[in-house]
Order: sequence, then C-alpha cells, then structure tokens
Amino acid sequence: MSELEPAYPWIAFSMGILITMLVSVVRIDTKRPAQIFALLTLVVTLFLSMSVNVETPQSLFNGVFEISALTTTALSLLCGLGIFFIIGTSRYLTKEEIHLSDYYHLLLILILGASVLICSKDLLVTFIALEVMSLPAYTLAGFRRNDSRSNEAAIKYFILGGVVGAVFLLGASFIFGATGTTHLSEIYTWSQKAQGDLTLFYMGHILILISFLFKVAAVPFHFWKPDVYEGSPTSVTGIMATVMSTASFVVLARILHIADFKSPELAPYFETLKQLIRVAAVLSLIIGSAIVITQTNLKRMLAYSSISHTGYVLLGLLGSMNQPDLIYSVWIYLFGYSLMTCGLFVLVSQSEPKLDAGVELIDLTGLMKKQPFNVVMWSLFLFSMAGMPFTIGFFTKYFVFISSVNTGEVFYVVIAALCAVVSAYAYLRPIALMVMRDADPSAAEWKGSVASHSVVAVSAAIVFALGVMPNALIHLLKGIPLQH
Amino acid sequence: MVNYNSLTVLLTVPLVASMLAWFIPKGIQRLYAVFSSLCILALTLYQAAPVLFASTSAAVIEHKLAWLPEIGVSLNFRLDSVSGWFVALNAIVAILAFSLKGVWYRKNPRLFTSLGFFLVSALNTAFLSADLIVFYLAYEAVFIPMIFMVGIWGEQAKATAVFRFFLMSFLGSVLMLVSIFYLVNLYHEQSGIYSSNLFDLIQATAGKNSPNLKWCFIGFFLAFAIKVPLFPFHGWLKDVYTLAPMPATIWMSAILSKLGVFGFIRFVSPIFVESSQGYQGILLTLAAISVVYAAFLAIRSNDSKSLLAYSSVSHLGFVMMGVFTFNPGGNASAILLSVGHTLVSAMLFYILHLIQERQTDLGLETSHGFAKLYPTLFTVFFIAVLASMSLPGTLNFAGEFLVLIHSYAASALCTIISGVGVILGAVYMLKFYQQLGFGKNTTVTINSNTGAKDLAGYDLVVLSVLVLMLIYFGFQPEIFLKGN
Repeated sequence: MSELEPAYPWIAFSMGILITMLVSVVRIDTKRPAQIFALLTLVVTLFLSMSVNVETPQSLFNGVFEISALTTTALSLLCGLGIFFIIGTSRYLTKEEIHLSDYYHLLLILILGASVLICSKDLLVTFIALEVMSLPAYTLAGFRRNDSRSNEAAIKYFILGGVVGAVFLLGASFIFGATGTTHLSEIYTWSQKAQGDLTLFYMGHILILISFLFKVAAVPFHFWKPDVYEGSPTSVTGIMATVMSTASFVVLARILHIADFKSPELAPYFETLKQLIRVAAVLSLIIGSAIVITQTNLKRMLAYSSISHTGYVLLGLLGSMNQPDLIYSVWIYLFGYSLMTCGLFVLVSQSEPKLDAGVELIDLTGLMKKQPFNVVMWSLFLFSMAGMPFTIGFFTKYFVFISSVNTGEVFYVVIAALCAVVSAYAYLRPIALMVMRDADPSAAEWKGSVASHSVVAVSAAIVFALGVMPNALIHLLKGIPLQH
Repeated sequence: MVNYNSLTVLLTVPLVASMLAWFIPKGIQRLYAVFSSLCILALTLYQAAPVLFASTSAAVIEHKLAWLPEIGVSLNFRLDSVSGWFVALNAIVAILAFSLKGVWYRKNPRLFTSLGFFLVSALNTAFLSADLIVFYLAYEAVFIPMIFMVGIWGEQAKATAVFRFFLMSFLGSVLMLVSIFYLVNLYHEQSGIYSSNLFDLIQATAGKNSPNLKWCFIGFFLAFAIKVPLFPFHGWLKDVYTLAPMPATIWMSAILSKLGVFGFIRFVSPIFVESSQGYQGILLTLAAISVVYAAFLAIRSNDSKSLLAYSSVSHLGFVMMGVFTFNPGGNASAILLSVGHTLVSAMLFYILHLIQERQTDLGLETSHGFAKLYPTLFTVFFIAVLASMSLPGTLNFAGEFLVLIHSYAASALCTIISGVGVILGAVYMLKFYQQLGFGKNTTVTINSNTGAKDLAGYDLVVLSVLVLMLIYFGFQPEIFLKGN
C-alpha cells in the first residue's frame, strides 16, 4: 500500500487534466473530445474522492497537504459542481461562440487549484494553489473576447487578483518572520506559547485575512465582484460563485483558526479579530442586501446577493471562532449555497444572447406563459436564496443563525434577519415579473438544452429534498471538524 | 384523555390532493376541489370531533414523529380545544374558497387547485404543530401559495400590494424566528439538549423576566400582529384584500388572520407570561384602537371589498381584546368569536362574489337596488350583515359579548372604547347593505349569462348551512367555553 494512496483522487485529477489538455491540442477542430475527457476526469475524481478512507486525517508531503473528511468532501462537492456546469452550460458556450477545447482544461485546472487550496496546510502551498485557481479564472473571465465587458472583467480581476496575491505573500512573510515557519500546524504550536514579535504576527495575519476577504468579496473588498460577474461568461461566473468561493471560505476558516487564540498572549488580539469579522459580516449583509434590490441586471443582482450571503457565512465563521465545533454551520451554508447558485446560473445561461446587453431582469417577464416548468425552477432557487422553508436555503440560514445565537451574537443575528427581509424583495421581484406580467416582446428568449434542463431539475430536486429532509447532510457535515 | 391517533393525515391528505390536481382534467377542477375539500372536512371532523365536543377543555390528541433529531425538531402535532377549532375552520373555509367560480378556474385551473390544497396543508400544519420550528416553517409556507394566487389571478397593479404583504409578513416572522432561536438556546443552556417543543420552551421561560425575553416577546408580537393585522400594522391589508382574487381574499380574511390569533393564544401567552402581563395595557389599547379605527376606515370606504376588509380588521380587534385578557375565559371567548368571524367574513366575501358575478359595478357612492332583482340572495346577505353586526342570537353576539365581559376586568376604558365599535359596525354594515340592495336601481346592468339568476342551487345550500351554523352555535356557545 503506497503512502500516496489517499492522494489518488488528486493525482488522477491532475493526470486527467494533462490528458484533456493533450486531447484539446490534438483535436483542435472540435471541442467534443475535450469536453468528454473533462467530464470523465471529474467523474473519476468524484468516485475516488468518495472512496478514500478518511477516518483518521492524514498529512502528506511533510504535512503540507491534508487529507481528511473535509478535503475529500469538498473535492466531491467541487467535482459535482464541475460536472453540473459542464453538462448544463455546453449549449450556452456554443451560443456565445466560445465553445473551445481550451475552456475545459482551464476549468479543470481551476477546480484542481480550488481543491488543493482546501487541502493546503502551508502558507506557501496556499499561495501556489491560490494562483493555480486564479490564473485560469482570469483567462476564463475574458473568454467572450468580442465583448468589452468581458475584457474589462478579465483585466480588472487579473490586476486586483495579482495585488491581492502580493498582499497574501507579504502577510505570509510577516508570519514567517514572527513564527519562523509557514506551516499551519507549526504556527498553531507556536501560538500556544506565543513569543517573539507578536505585532509582526498580527500584521501578517491581518494581511492574509484581507487577501481572502477579498477573494470571498466581503465588504469593503467587494467592489470587483459585480463587474467580474457581469462580464464573465455565465458558466464561468457560476464556477466563481460556487467552486472558488467555497474554496476561499474554507481557507478563510483555516486562517481564522490559524493560531490557538485561547492562549493569554493572543487573547486581546482575538477580540479585535472577532470585531473585525463582525464589522465585515454586518457591512456585507447591509451593503449586499441594500444594493441587491436596486439591480436590474441578473448577474449583477446575483453578485450583490452573493455579497450578502458572504455576510451570513462570516456570521457562521464568527460562531465557529467562539466555539470551534460550530464550524459545521459554515459547511452547511457553503454546500447549500453552492447548490442553489449552481442551479440559478445554469438557468441564467439559458437566455439567448443579445447584442451589447447582459441578461436583464426584464427578460424574465412573462416567462410563465412560455416555460411554466422553468418558472417553478426559478422560484424554487430564488425562494431558497431568500431562505424560505422547504428549501435548503432555509436550513443554511437556520444553522448560521442558531450557532450565532448560541455564542451570544444575538444582535448580529437580528441584523442578518432584517437583511434577509430586505433581500427577499430582490428575490421575489424576478418571480413577480415571471408570474404577474404578460410576455414582453422585447424580452429575451429562453431556450435550454435537455442537458441543461436536467441539470437544473436535478439540483432543484436536491435543494428541495434537503429542504425537507436535511438529516443526512447535517449528520455528514457535523462530523467534519477543522484540523489544526 | 390522550389518544395517539394519527394526525398526520390532516397534512398529507391535502398535500396529496394538491399533487393529484395536476392529473385531473381542467374542466372538472372545481368539482374535484370542492369534493376533495369536503372529504378533508369529513376527515378533520372525524379527527377533531372527540376533542371539540368533549365536555372539558382537557381533551387532547397528540401525535409525535421524529424529524430532525440532530437539532431537536420533531413533528409534534397536537389537537386540542384551541387548535381543533382552527383546523375545522380551515376545512370549512377551503370548501367556500374552492366553490367560487371565476378566472382562477379558467386560467391555469390546475395550479389554482394545487396551490389551494397546499395552503390548506400548510395551515393545518401550523395549527397542529406544537413545535415552534415546524410552526414557523408552516407559517412561512403559507405565504408561497398566497403570493402566487394574488400574483397570478389578482387584478391589475397587484405587484406592489404583493410585495408589501410579503415583506411585512416576512419581517415579522423572521424576527419571530430569531426569538425562537433565543428560546431554543435558553432551553439548551438549562438542560443541555436542543428542543423547540412548545412545552420545553414554556418550561425554559417559566418564572423568568429578563430584558432579552421582552425582546423575544416583541419578535413574536410583531409576527402575529402583522398577520392579524392589529393597528398600526394593517398597512399591507387593504391593497392585498381588494386586488386578490376572491378565494384568496376569503382565505386571508377568514383563516390567515386567525394564524395570528392562534399564535397569540398558543405560543405568546404561555411562553411569555411575564411580558404579556406587563404589556397588557398597551396590547389592549392597540386592540381597542383597531376596532374603532378600522370601523371608521370601513365607514369611509367607497368600495365593497375594502369595506369588508376593514370590517374584518375591526372585528379582529374584538378577537384580540379577548386574546389579550390572557386568561382562559377570555381566550375561549376569543376562539368563539374567531369562529364567528371566520364564518361571517367568509360568507360576506362569498356573497359579494356572487353579486359581482351578476353585476359589475359595486361602488358604494351610488345606491344600486339589487335586492329587487335577487330577493333570496339579499335575504341571506341580510342575515350575514346582521351576524356581522353581532345581533343577539348569532355566534358573533355571543363572542363579542363574552369578550367584552372578560376584557372589562382587564381594562374598563378599552372595553368602553371598543364597545363603540359595535355601534360603528352597525353604521357601515347597514350603509353597505343599503347601497347595494336598496334605492333606485339606476346602475343595474344585467350580465348576459348569469345576470338575472337569483341565489339557488349549490350556493344556496352552502350559505344556508353557514347561516344555520351561526345561529346554532349562537345558542350553544357552551361548546366553545367548556366551563371557562
């Protein structure tokens, strides 16, 4: 038995990427083989990651690579999302004339980067994984070459992402200066009897924190998100909203639990840190849900909605800072949010492209007459976003709220609840347009392939089923701690 | 008497009916809906009769199923002398709402029937659940069919009304959810286990009076006061009632408003004993203002539907007077009056719809003189008007009389003020009846097919049964009071 055995999913994934890349070079005239190999890679990785034995967490490569229930579950989720997006948005890519074979290996590299980011237990590996995840994302964001907004998105994302990468490196070097290591578990051991230049450590910690708050677009580091979401191809936006933010949130959780903050030396800093997270959470909630109701562009609306969802996740993280075993509320949130966002973006990608205009809310007008089935799907996902019962969206909010109440953050829960009401207006508005108005001739056409309809239906079924019977999910995610 | 009979049929049968509706031909949807709701009524009475007609108020049927053991939420159904009446009313109102002919049986009839039965199921869940989280879920779920009903079959310019209705209700219920979390956490701190069972939470708050509990009380109060609605939370009401299709109006005024009444009796008064006693003066004042203010609004109304809407608020003010006495006698008379109000307001809206089918112009600026055209209809109408004015011999008289007796002990001033409401009630109801029924029939336009027919057949049977019930219970209020 090789000691590399637990890492097989990742190894198989990397090999799959190489094959997909080769295939796309050999068969440059058609994209079908690349698509099939990408799907195969994801399916194989999904099965391998589900079959890894993770009863005891293991570390590989001198402890920089963690294989545990958390990382394999996350890899399964990411692969599942990748499969959904590849199947669901194939027709979209053809419509937009960006159905190129390069798309697929870039996508796979992005997902690999995200999964390694989750596994990484070393700041340098984190940085490399971050770049592996981000570089394909910059490229994919600019895939609609003929649209200036896509170019804007790519350039904006690239420049800001580069700066943030530098900020992360700076922070990592400060931490190295203070602790003498970049290894997360060694930093944790160091912190138990913290000595040396603590200020340097704090500065470094804040810097790496900021770089990931930027990645998850917490206010005040959110300004890139609407533009990038709007300009990128819808399928890529969907990947950003699900795969990339899930990975970034897991790293954020690791950063917030980087040290043993219960130790007396670090306790005062820990209070400041919590205050910072509170501020970021409240700002994200308020600004996200206040701006989301003013948006007329669907993708921008979803961008602001994801900013407000960032606020909820930050609340969950705050709960876990007070009481580490409550981290499962964050996992449930990430899982549920990824699922409903995936469904929504596949739905958005079903709109027929229009010249020089994105997908507007108005385009949904009168959809009830044309596609009653899709109206049900839209409503289900939007209700889930709003946190209505019988959708996973209710339970995602449920656990975040209850873990925050448990740890005495009642005031912030009230704010979050009020913001939920405000943003509910935004989620109800598309439904109102679909149901209450007659079709508008200027509205865009909506056509989905059978594949994309089935992806939507499957994710809707999961969103609904988990909204009625979340037992299995709760049980699974409750047993996933964050390793030090 | 504890009988572990299965109460889940009261939820599942409407749910099955809701799904079956999609397989029933469009032409016979009304027949199907009325027949199924008759079956549901029979089932409800079969379940509830032993409790409703028992000689003491201690009779209870309970049924418990595990649902989410991880977080202590169980499907804990409880049919007692409080919930029993509301469940029975729910079945009766469903028959009335489904009996009306209208645009909802022409445009998407399957969706209408399906939503209607979903609503019945959600309402039954809300009334039966003794678990606060399940109650909350059902309470929220009630919105979904309501939004769609108003949205799809409502009159023009309904979007704002729907939004206002949804957002105000959602605001209240979200704050209630946070309060529930606080209570659950309180119980968890005391006993170490999570439970959202009503009786566990009563135990958790027994004898306590912290400021936080006061805030929780306000959370619950807002949710239910908006639902009833109580002055000054009635802002959403008029537009929704007038623009909604008639079945939705009947559901809202007859049974959705009772969710608020039920919530106060079932949850607020036992959980927040101290706070409810402490705020009793304010609550009674609000109820008294509701009675008088809504009566004045009704007098000023120029539109039949909004007059009935405000009259409904005014009478609900009386119900709330009974609820806010916070003693068993007052609550029993509030339930008695709720039954009367449900029957009368459903009947009045039903009759209004029958007149609307025959005549298009129902403005109250001019007199119409329809009584000559439809003598039988207007005779039944007159009985309903008298019952609404709480004429002795009807259930409403017994209810208002008993409520005022009980509230006199709590606050004489509020009782006197709301007593004025009885007189004002006569003013607007008689004006309403007079303008529609008497005077020179200058505006009469006979609708081609239904315009000339008087009340007969099915509608006559339905209304006669209601009249008989009002009078029978009017002479037998003891059934509700059970010695209280």
